Amino acid sequence: MPFTFIEIEEAKTRRIWIFFLVLILLHFAVLASLTAAAAEILSLPYDTFFSPRLMGWLIVLSLASASFHFGFATLDTIHFLHDNLAAVKPDPADGIHQRLLNIMQEIQVVTGNRKRIDCVVIPTLAMNALAAVDLRGNATIAITEGLLSRLTRPQLEAVMAHEAYHILSGDCRETTVAASFFGLPSAALGKISGGFAPGFRFSPSFLLAWTLLKLSQIFNMFISREREYRADAGAVRMTRNPIALAEALNLISRNWRGVGSIGEGFEMLCIVSPAAKALDETDGWRADLMSTHPPIRKRIEVLSKMAHQELSERIAKTAPTGRPDAARPAEPVFYALDPHHQWQGPYPLAELSALAWISPLTWISDGGAGIERAWKIPSIDPVIFMNRLKQDAMPVTSSLCPSCRQPLLETLYERTPLRQCHFCGGILIETAKISRIMARAENSFTDRISSLSKTVMKENQLKQSGHRAQNINRTMITLRSCPQCKNPMTRTFYSLAYLVEIDRCNFCGLTWFDPDELEMLQCMITNKMAGDPLVERTT
Amino acid sequence: MIEWIPLGLVVLGLLWIVIVYNGLVSLRNQVQNAWKQIDVQLKRRHDLIPNLVTTVKGAMEFEQDTLEKVISARAKAVSATGPHDKAVSENMLTQALGKLFAVVENYPQLKSNENIMQLQEELTSTENRIGFARQFYNDIVASYHIKQEVFPNNFVASIFKGFKKEEYYSAEDADRAVPQADLSLRKK
Repeated sequence: MPFTFIEIEEAKTRRIWIFFLVLILLHFAVLASLTAAAAEILSLPYDTFFSPRLMGWLIVLSLASASFHFGFATLDTIHFLHDNLAAVKPDPADGIHQRLLNIMQEIQVVTGNRKRIDCVVIPTLAMNALAAVDLRGNATIAITEGLLSRLTRPQLEAVMAHEAYHILSGDCRETTVAASFFGLPSAALGKISGGFAPGFRFSPSFLLAWTLLKLSQIFNMFISREREYRADAGAVRMTRNPIALAEALNLISRNWRGVGSIGEGFEMLCIVSPAAKALDETDGWRADLMSTHPPIRKRIEVLSKMAHQELSERIAKTAPTGRPDAARPAEPVFYALDPHHQWQGPYPLAELSALAWISPLTWISDGGAGIERAWKIPSIDPVIFMNRLKQDAMPVTSSLCPSCRQPLLETLYERTPLRQCHFCGGILIETAKISRIMARAENSFTDRISSLSKTVMKENQLKQSGHRAQNINRTMITLRSCPQCKNPMTRTFYSLAYLVEIDRCNFCGLTWFDPDELEMLQCMITNKMAGDPLVERTT
Repeated sequence: MIEWIPLGLVVLGLLWIVIVYNGLVSLRNQVQNAWKQIDVQLKRRHDLIPNLVTTVKGAMEFEQDTLEKVISARAKAVSATGPHDKAVSENMLTQALGKLFAVVENYPQLKSNENIMQLQEELTSTENRIGFARQFYNDIVASYHIKQEVFPNNFVASIFKGFKKEEYYSAEDADRAVPQADLSLRKK
């Protein structure tokens, strides 16, 4: 894949157009196959059916039906978001929502105010975002409350830019056009494959039409994946911050991203696939053929390469202009991405160790090829992070944090012993001990935790939780390894009533909570049991 | 039939000139609009500062010097005329605001004040918009230059005299040397 966002954007645009043309040709091929099948069934000579006049009419009818389908599909797209996903306009009195409105304005500025884009918030704790355009030209970006609350400002900016790119590049319309072209043939073949009536004559042309239709679906998914890469590149062109988008994708991939009953057409326009299929994150030809989104790992890899390009420019600026002193051995230096997404450096190892903001998840480069998380760089990891752990008075365990890969510390929470990561705040606890913590409510909850928990309560009120839980149970994803036994952990909800995502090890009975998750769960359960409004227990 | 071919070619040629000319006019107007958008965002920042000063001055009685620097930097930025003066004075204003927010960090009652948080968010957003407006201006100037210079558009651009090269927005040397003020509310 090319290196810079401009090259990626151009290359992907070319490929999308070529494949879109192939898709349109496939549509006519399916139509011709169905016509041939009809001729065979009615025992009519082919030349009657394939006369130029009849074929002309068929093409006109097919285009008319596709236009009709397109019109209906896009007429009320925005209302669909409001009605089916309960999306609401951002509340300017809410600080987080106001930030979203401001970011939307910033995106309008960076695109030269080419098109007015609105934004809405979907009240769910899931983490996802999608773009929609209706027939009248109204464009909206819908973002979930979960994503809005958990992303930093630059990350949110990158996600909004990605979705805005889908709107401005016409991806939203193209997706609906593709669906419209194949809507009628799919319905016809679906009806036929549903069962043959007595006396129905099967024609081999049906098989051909079915094969072509499946081929078109594969092409459509390929185009969808290319669009995601292109929208990532477009977002970087707007924000010039590839790492922010990479980190947002990483965060989303570790959380529940379903946004309710959304429909196939919209799935392709979400920043990550809301179905959370294990297939989406695997390699191989099957995943390549059947996924609407590229694997997040690959997307992050491409974005990291773009970041390295950005880093190279910084290195060129900071490099000494004088003649290097050949006699002096060069001390290794590092560049680090600070919490504000700015590259800092060069730092020798001693200076790097002294940085207060450095953590195992900080992106580091030695100025050579590629960038890596700090924990992956052998010359940094044992030196800096072990020293910091030793400064803590708490005992160090042999279990490693699945995110930061650093030893967990033994600590107490609600007077219950558990293991916690010093750096990211994730918690490892025996599953049997969770109920103990839930029964105790000695600590009060912050406004942020209460706000996140409240969103889940709303979710339960919408009675959508059951459906989502069923979906996730069917497609359990293993994203982390157990810190104790190293077996894959299963990502699941705590329970159908409390939709907080956790990672469970079914081998040694341990549960991993990402930062905030344990408190959120505790806040939800405590308040629901007490029957009090959530705000009453806030500090 | 053959006699129509030269006429057809002439019509096609004229059509092509019209398309290229209209494209150049459109881009020229976009460049002018993009430049004005930077001013719009700078004005937005100037308008926010009096509110900020009013909100913090009561609680920051021992930091009058910092506040005065912000007020005077704003006054200079508002009255600056040339592009160079504007760039220098806006840079000074950014620095003064950065210092003000660093001082606000020392006042817990201000840090948790809802109005301050809102103003800080508004100023962060305005800083970003200024940056994005400049970025968009440079992008559109690049497109305008490419449109003028590529073959055979360069003939059309040279026939009509109204199309000249526009200047890119570039950071002044002083701007490069000074670290960008951090007005962000990013979570750590």
